[in-house]
This record gives sequence, structure tokens and C-alpha cells, in this order.
Amino acid sequence: MSTLRIMGGLVVDPAGGIKGEVRDVWIRDGKVVTLPEDPAARADRTIDARGFVVMPGGVDVHSHIAGSKVNAARMLRPEERRDPESVWPRRDGFRSGTVGSVPTSFVTGYQYAGLGYTTAVDAAIPPLSARQAHADFAETPLVDKLMLVLMGNSHAVLDLVREGDPDRLRQAVAWLLEASGGYGVKVVNPGGVEQWKQGGMRIASWDDKVDRFEVTPRQILLGLAGAADELGLPHPVHVHGMNLGLPGNWETTLDGMKALEGRRGHLAHIQFHSYGGSADDPAGIDSRVGPLADYVNTHSNLSVDVGQVFFGETTSMTADGAVGQYLANLTGRKWLSLDVEQEDGCGIVPITYDDRNYVHALQWAIGLEWFLRVEDPWRIALSTDHPNGGSFLSYPRLIALLMDKNLRDETFATLPESLKGRTALSELSREYTLEEIAILTRAAPARILGLTSKGHLGPGADADVTIYAPDDDRRRMFAMPRYVIKAGVVVVDDGDLTSAPIGETFLVEAGVDPRIRSELEAGLAEESSIHPANFRIQEGEVSRPRAVAVGR
Amino acid sequence: MSVRPPAAETPESATIEAATCLACGCLCDDIGLTVESGRVLDARSACPIGVAWFRGPIAGEVAGPPAAIEGTPVDPRVAVARAAELLANARSPLVLGLDRSTNQTVAAAIGLADRVGAYVEIGDGMASMPRILAMQRVGRVSATLGEVKSRADVVVFWRSDPATTHPRHLERYSAEPRGRFIPGGRADRRLIVVDTHRTATAAKADWYLELDEGRELETLWSLRALVRGVDLRDDRIGSTTGLDPSALRDLAGQLAAARYGAFFLGEGERASPPARATARSEAASLLVRDLNSRTRFVLLSLGSPGNVAGAEGVLARQAGFPSCVDLSAGYPRSLPGVATAAERIAAGSVDVALIVGSQGLGQGWTSKTSRIVIAGPGVTDGPTPAVRLTASRPGIEEGGSVTRVDGVSLPLRPIRRPAFPTERDWIERILAAITPSGRTS
Repeated sequence: MSTLRIMGGLVVDPAGGIKGEVRDVWIRDGKVVTLPEDPAARADRTIDARGFVVMPGGVDVHSHIAGSKVNAARMLRPEERRDPESVWPRRDGFRSGTVGSVPTSFVTGYQYAGLGYTTAVDAAIPPLSARQAHADFAETPLVDKLMLVLMGNSHAVLDLVREGDPDRLRQAVAWLLEASGGYGVKVVNPGGVEQWKQGGMRIASWDDKVDRFEVTPRQILLGLAGAADELGLPHPVHVHGMNLGLPGNWETTLDGMKALEGRRGHLAHIQFHSYGGSADDPAGIDSRVGPLADYVNTHSNLSVDVGQVFFGETTSMTADGAVGQYLANLTGRKWLSLDVEQEDGCGIVPITYDDRNYVHALQWAIGLEWFLRVEDPWRIALSTDHPNGGSFLSYPRLIALLMDKNLRDETFATLPESLKGRTALSELSREYTLEEIAILTRAAPARILGLTSKGHLGPGADADVTIYAPDDDRRRMFAMPRYVIKAGVVVVDDGDLTSAPIGETFLVEAGVDPRIRSELEAGLAEESSIHPANFRIQEGEVSRPRAVAVGR
Repeated sequence: MSVRPPAAETPESATIEAATCLACGCLCDDIGLTVESGRVLDARSACPIGVAWFRGPIAGEVAGPPAAIEGTPVDPRVAVARAAELLANARSPLVLGLDRSTNQTVAAAIGLADRVGAYVEIGDGMASMPRILAMQRVGRVSATLGEVKSRADVVVFWRSDPATTHPRHLERYSAEPRGRFIPGGRADRRLIVVDTHRTATAAKADWYLELDEGRELETLWSLRALVRGVDLRDDRIGSTTGLDPSALRDLAGQLAAARYGAFFLGEGERASPPARATARSEAASLLVRDLNSRTRFVLLSLGSPGNVAGAEGVLARQAGFPSCVDLSAGYPRSLPGVATAAERIAAGSVDVALIVGSQGLGQGWTSKTSRIVIAGPGVTDGPTPAVRLTASRPGIEEGGSVTRVDGVSLPLRPIRRPAFPTERDWIERILAAITPSGRTS
């Protein structure tokens, strides 16, 4: 029994209805507990937080930190990790590593914690890559992790969608989650990646048919959204939609939103899906956040994260192999691609977002428009789709922009003139409050993920706490927390890491009918290159597993 | 110190399904084993190389102490303390091998290397760097082997001979299996072999082209030009490649006509200069990338025995680079070609080397290097090491995971209790004897 008292800080805990109130937070054995009745009660350790801001630890709803794609990106980009700023020297008790756009595993954990983030999602793991992803998680300290399992191009899923058997499809989803040690269902360009692997005509609308499987993206999306809802998964289907990055894609994005009517859905990196113009008129690309945000504002079944772009060098990585090829041809840079049997693959291309480039500047503005136009901060989460739009290390800069219109205007003034009239950003005067920032960065993503012990400081919450020194320079304030507490342990103190415990891995136990499991495994044996017994993650392969209950 | 107690999951007599074989780069994971008193009686589905690997020497029957210093058997605690002392006080230590170790062992070894500031090289760094450098320069368009199984209608073996080196490759992955898109199996696939001589795989091929060994790079570039539709004159093709121009045009046509092609690139000549080896790997990568403008095509390797891909992956995860990583500055640096292990040893600048697995034992060691060898019983080549720690065999007595050449990780299923500590055990014990600041405790 060890107790920690965080004394007298300005607590911002929106999930608990605390908008900013001076009070204590008490922690016992890694959990937040109710305040002691005896005002003279003493804790084993007290942190004097008077004058500081106290928030739950940050939660990243959509990031890429594990699995074959992330490691392939590290191998592909030695040029990013050779200068003195991109190395992480070893200190006693900690590991050395490298940074770049894709930091090494230990450094990823150190840097997340350094920002006050204590939970992160890897949003794109093919089942066949789950074993490696769990090994990566085991060496990513300080954050709790969870993975979303790719299913939108799974052969088993596509077959069951075609056969129109929702019960069996639900079992297949439960089986893929069980086999992977996964937490939720991810859909990437449903059917479109399979079509690309086949070398077929590009799938561009929700009602195009996938060759040989005879199913449409709409059927796949609805099948998986329904399965996730009916299994009672804590997180709804997590969607990377169609036509990512292409001019004119906003219409398919809106169609996808409408298709989800009556189902829950989370739309990832929505910035990349909000473009006007058309394939015939790529120069006509402009912002179409308006109609899309209006739709989200009036449909509470939907949530989004943004995928904000920042200017500079980064690495694009996606399970959408077709997008990888498109970007490689567009940029002429090196291209790493890996088709993964049964399900998706990955495309990795270095990319430089240039503030003199009209399209890149527009992407920057579109991301900010999203934050400013979605009225309910509980249904939007802060993300850069790390590392796609930029590193998670950009979050403090993003927060500063959201809280300060002048700062946005200053940057906007440096961007190409041609942006004027193509984005409404400069007309949006909204400035986020501290409470809204706390929602956007912890309370909302935790709620969207269905993580009931995260994103708040009520009794029973995991004792993940970030303590900031208030600062008019918001970027500095959010880049350098005064203290970070993970599961009740102080891990960052005045900018220094003090310990690096390994976090937990959240997963669901959705329950699989053994008979159906063996039938699905037999199908896998036919098609896959590995034995079904080796497909399934085994006990001991998941780092500190923590199962979350499912059921409606 | 005693050896690790028997684990409940490693019965001495049992039938084990879905065991993974580390004998060649196939990493077949469908082997059924019948084990009695720790001996493998039957290895169903395994090829002859695999059967020999599973039967192997039984550790307990090979004479040898668990630990020795300068060839003299000692208490393992003394040997571990000596190894820790050597590493902690080393000026310029190396960590080598690891190419047949589990991913978990590799992770532990890199943790040790980080603590003492060692240079780490996985397996034969000279052989792997061309492949890695080419990938870092131009990328690579690739796939898992199951994609080849279910989709590939054209399969090219370019200076690779799986029928000899990877006996079940054709059966399991690349030629014979029926797939969703290849319902007829072998009958629906076109097998193409390009090599310097008629190999065993060539004898099974539908089409064969004999390559002029000295002009392989020129041949790859000419082929790429043809695939891109460059107007090459026949006399030009003939003079640069030494081949019949119509044969090379025919090959370009066959590649472009694939629905989903798989190109298995062999390692080529070990003796070729690194720059040229890198250039040929790069040329093949660009050829395959260009083919993707016309159809789908992927580039793969057959893979090496053991766990090279896994070890490189773990090193990249922890240090950011897949091989040849220098941790001596207190952070990872990798400047390939500047100083490989072989060059460091030859220069006499290495004072201590930790060698895990059998690789590296044959290097040109001198008395300037104190070697710590963690290897299976009976591995004795090279001069007597300063410290010898006998380990059980990964995949037979040691569990964990390994990673196939296409990035798919597979679990190992140990079949009997280890007679010696595992490689990972030894490394963790050495690490525990060195304080976080890199000194012996």
C-alpha cells in the first residue's frame, strides 16, 4: 500500500465535471482513490501542486508505434537518425536509441511520457503481424498500449460478408481479435487494398465491387461496424476510408458517414479525407471540411481524429498499399511496400511537408478547420496520425494553435496566397479553453476508445496524471510537464525521466465458438503460409495483458 | 548455479504439432514431432535437412562442461563473473552472431551491448549489408510468402536454387501450392530460372536463361530498360549482357505479362565487391518497382537458416538500424562499410568479443581479442575462448520466437528440457552482473 497525494493543484478533469478547481488528487496502489475524510491524513509522498495544472495522462487514439510497418520504416530511413539531434544517449537505467520520425521502441515510450501521454493506440496491425507488434509493445515503456486489428480486406471477412452471414462474421471478428490479442476493429480502404493487390481497376466508390470476392466496400464497412456493435466492443469500428489523400475525396467521405447511420463509427485522420477538386482537376483541391463537420455535428454516432499535418520531414506509413504506391510515384522517393497475406499490407514513403507547397499548406489548414468546426469536443481527438502528418512530438504546437487565433493567423500569413478563399480557417475565431484541450487530448479519446479507467481522475481511474506549469507559451507548457505519474509512479520530474516501467496491454476477450474457430482456422490453413496453431498469439506473448469486458 | 528446471510444457515424451524448423530460411512451421525420452523419433513433413536439424546432437550426450575459462571447466558463476568483467572493462567490445538466436535472446543481447557500448553485427554483416543498403537507397516492394502462395502466377528464381538449399520452398510457398487465385497450383504458375548454370531448380522450371556471371548487373539494368519500354537496340543488348537479345526481350515480356509476379533474388557471389553487390540488389529492387507500374510484382529473398530477419528486426526496433550498429558513443550509430566486425578484428582494435551462436567462430582471431562464446555443446572451431558458456539449442530446448525472411514471426515449441542454460539465460546473467553504469557489481 503506497499513497501519493497531489496537493492543491488546479484540477482539470472534464469527465468528472471538474473544469478547473483547486483540490487534491489521492492515489493508492496505482489507482485514484476518494479523498480521505480526515483533512489531516498523510500520504507516503506528497507532491505540492499548488500553482500547477493537474490533468489525467494523455491518450493517443491513433498512432503507429508497433508492427512490421513501423520497424520497416526505421530500417528504411537511416538518414533521419544520424545527426546529433536525432539520437537518444543512454543514461543509467534507461536505453539509448534514435529518434527521427519513427523513434526506436524505448525512445517512443520515453518521448510519449515526456509529453504527459500515458496511453497510445497502434491503429493498424494485420493479424499476421500481431506477434511482432506485441514484442514491440513489450519494449515500449511508460505507455499503456492497445492495437486495432486490420479486417477490412481480410479474405475470411470478405467471404462472410458476401455470404451474408452476420452471426458468423461476428464470430470471425471475435476470432481475429483473439488470435491477435487485439482491442478493436480497424478498416482500411475496405476491399480497395485487396483489389489493388489483385491489380484490378481502382475502387473509388462505396458501391464498386471487389474482383473475385463480389462484395462492395459499403457491405464490408457495414458488416464490420455491425459486428463491432453487436459484440459490444468498447471501441466502434475504426475507419480509414476510401480515396485517402485524393482530390475530390470529400464526397466519398460523406457517403461513408451516411453509410454508418445507425451504427457507431470512428473516422480516422479525417483531414486526409476532406478535399475538394477532382481527379480531372487536381489543382482545384480545396477544403470541404464545412459539409463534413456539419454532418458530424448532427450525428452523434460518429467520432473523428484529425491527422494534423505539420511542415517538415516525416515518413508516411499506411496499411493502404495503393496509397503507398501513389505517394511513391508522386514524390519519386524510395518506396517500401509489403503485401501481407489475408489482410492489407503496408506502404512506406518519406515525405516532406513544405509550407511553400499549396497542397501541403491546405492540408495544414484543413486539419485545423476540423478542430475548430466540430462543436462537441467529446467527439474529436487530437492526432497527427503519427508519423504520417508529423510526429506526436508536434502535439504541443498543435495545442498552442488551437488555443490562440493570433498564432494561427501568424502562420497562415506565411503560407501561399493562393490559400485564400480555399479554406475558411482565417474566419474561424474559436480558441480552445484549457478544459477543452483536456477533453481533446485525454477525456475524449479515452471515451471514444471505451477505456473506462483512462482519461479521468475519478476514484478507480488508473493513476496516470500529468502536472503542467501554467505558461502563456502553451507550446512550452504542454511540451514540458512538471511531473508525469504513470500508474501511481512518478516517471517524469522536471523534464527528467526518473523510471521507465513497462505499461499494460489492453485487449478484449470477445468469446469465440470453438467449432467456428476451428472452421476458420481450417480456411486459414488453406490460404496462409503458416500453421493455424502458430497464427494465434499464445500466453506469455502479450506484455502485461489487461482484458476489458465486452458486451452491450 | 544449477541449470534451469524443466518447464512443464517441455515433456520428454510427446507428440508436438506445428513445430518450427530453423534448418533453412523456409522456417517451415508445420512439422509434427514424435519425441521419446528427449529424442526425436519422427519429424513429419520435414525435409532431410530438417530431419537432421531436429534430430541433431542431444545436448546431454555431448561431452562438455556448462562453462569454462581458457578451456578449463569452472563453476558457471565464476565464468559469468569473468565474462561480465571482460565486457565491463572492454575498450572496444563486439557482440557478434545472434543469427540463429531467438528474438528474445537478441533483445537481451542488445541490452547488454547498449550497457557496455559494444559494436553489434548480426551474422555475416559483409554479406547482409548489400541487401540492407539497397533497401535503404530505393526501398523494396515485397510480400509475405502466403501472398506468393495464393497469388503468384509468375515466379522468378534469380540466382537462387531453392530445390537445393530450401527443399520445401517450392512445395510450400512458391511453385506447387494451390491458392485462391492459383487454383491449379503448379499448372497455373510459370516458373522462370535465371542463373549462371543449370541448377536443380532450373530442371523444374518452365523457362531458363543462362546468365553471364560477370554481367549480371548489366543484365538487370537492360531488363529494366526493356520493362520500361526503352528502345534498346539488339546489338547493344548483346554487347552489354552477352545474351541473345530475343531471350532477354522474351523474359521482359513474361514478367510484364504476370498478374502477380514474385522475384526471388539470390545473394549472388560472396566474393563480389560490396558496391557491386549493393548495385545488383538495387537494380533488382528498381526492376520490381518499375514492374508495378504495369502489373503487381514483389521481390523476396529465400532467407537464411535460423533467425537473421528476426535479429535484424530486433536491432532496428531497439537501435534504429538493422545491423552493424556501434553503441560505443552511448547511442546507436551505423555507418556501413566504415568498419565491419571483420575489419575491426583484422585491425586488432577489438579487445573483447561476445559471440552468440556459431557464427563468427571462424573469423581471423588474434590474441588481441578475448572471446566470450555462448554456443551449443560440441561447437569447437577457432582458438580456445577466454570464456565458454554452453547453451541449449534454440527451437529444440529453448522457446521464444523467430522471424521468417518475409517478416512473419513464429513461435518455437521446445521439445525437451534444456540440459544447459539457454543463450538468453547466459546473457541475462552477464547483464545482471554489470551495473547500469557499465561496471561489474
